[in-house]
Amino acid sequence: MENLVIKETKYTPKIVLDTNGIISLTGKSYPENTFEFYEPMMKWIENYFQTDSIGMTTINIEITYFNSSSSKLFFDFFDLLEENSKDNKIVINWIYDEENESAEEAGEDFIEDFEDLDINLVQK
Amino acid sequence: MNINNVLKVVKDDGIIFLSYGGFLSQTLISGMTEALEKESSKSAINMGVSNNIFTIFIELSQNMMNYSKNTIENNRNIDPSGLIIVSKDDENSYYIHSQNIVSIEDKEKMTPKLIDVTTLSKDEIKKKYKELRRSGKDTHWKGGGLGFYEIAKRCDSIEYNFREINKDKFYFHIKTKINLTKSKEK
Repeated sequence: MENLVIKETKYTPKIVLDTNGIISLTGKSYPENTFEFYEPMMKWIENYFQTDSIGMTTINIEITYFNSSSSKLFFDFFDLLEENSKDNKIVINWIYDEENESAEEAGEDFIEDFEDLDINLVQK
Repeated sequence: MNINNVLKVVKDDGIIFLSYGGFLSQTLISGMTEALEKESSKSAINMGVSNNIFTIFIELSQNMMNYSKNTIENNRNIDPSGLIIVSKDDENSYYIHSQNIVSIEDKEKMTPKLIDVTTLSKDEIKKKYKELRRSGKDTHWKGGGLGFYEIAKRCDSIEYNFREINKDKFYFHIKTKINLTKSKEK
């Protein structure tokens, strides 16, 4: 399996998917077609857990703001992670700026929705 | 588009610092969002509040963009252009307005959601939002399944109206208000 890097644009985040177990999403997220945009990432992660996943996977998410279809997509993303959390050690860091209350709240909501996932709120 | 509406907004809500009327595209939306970012960093608005402004702006404008694409693809006899305005009054509130033309069928589809977001409490809206997001029902990349709830979570008040053009078509106008100083009520 190969690493996958998707470059940042004005409305989509930088995505780094590394087979060494580090996954990161950084930037803003309001694509025109959210599900199409994230499809390669979702496929890669499914594949990763089936084949390459090593002992520990760390996921760093730092999204300053996002539209509602991205919110739905992140929900599906966490769902996929939760499905794989029994056989894999997964740690998620939801990173937000100290002043960014709305990003903090979004992280809290995901913690409430995914009790089986290890999600840390990380203030920058 | 009715220019009188624009003028009325100026009178009601003070300074307009962004307005656009016409056909919306993703490139335009991201350009305007960048302009809003510059504006808010210039006026040193709290990051949480400014992100709410950006999200609402994006949500409303992408809604109109998707709606007009759908209108064109399906060859419906509806003007696909929209109007979006961001303004500020002298009491430190921001307003985001959007207006476009919708069919009577879509008016009926939107109405229950609009009633929800104008009558439910913040807690109830949050609960509904999370239920909808979990169920995935009504939520796809086009259209406002979660959209109105996303907006409601992030603003202080919503007003809307449908103005009849003829028996099949309506002007849909939505106005959201964002206070710079957050009320403690959740």
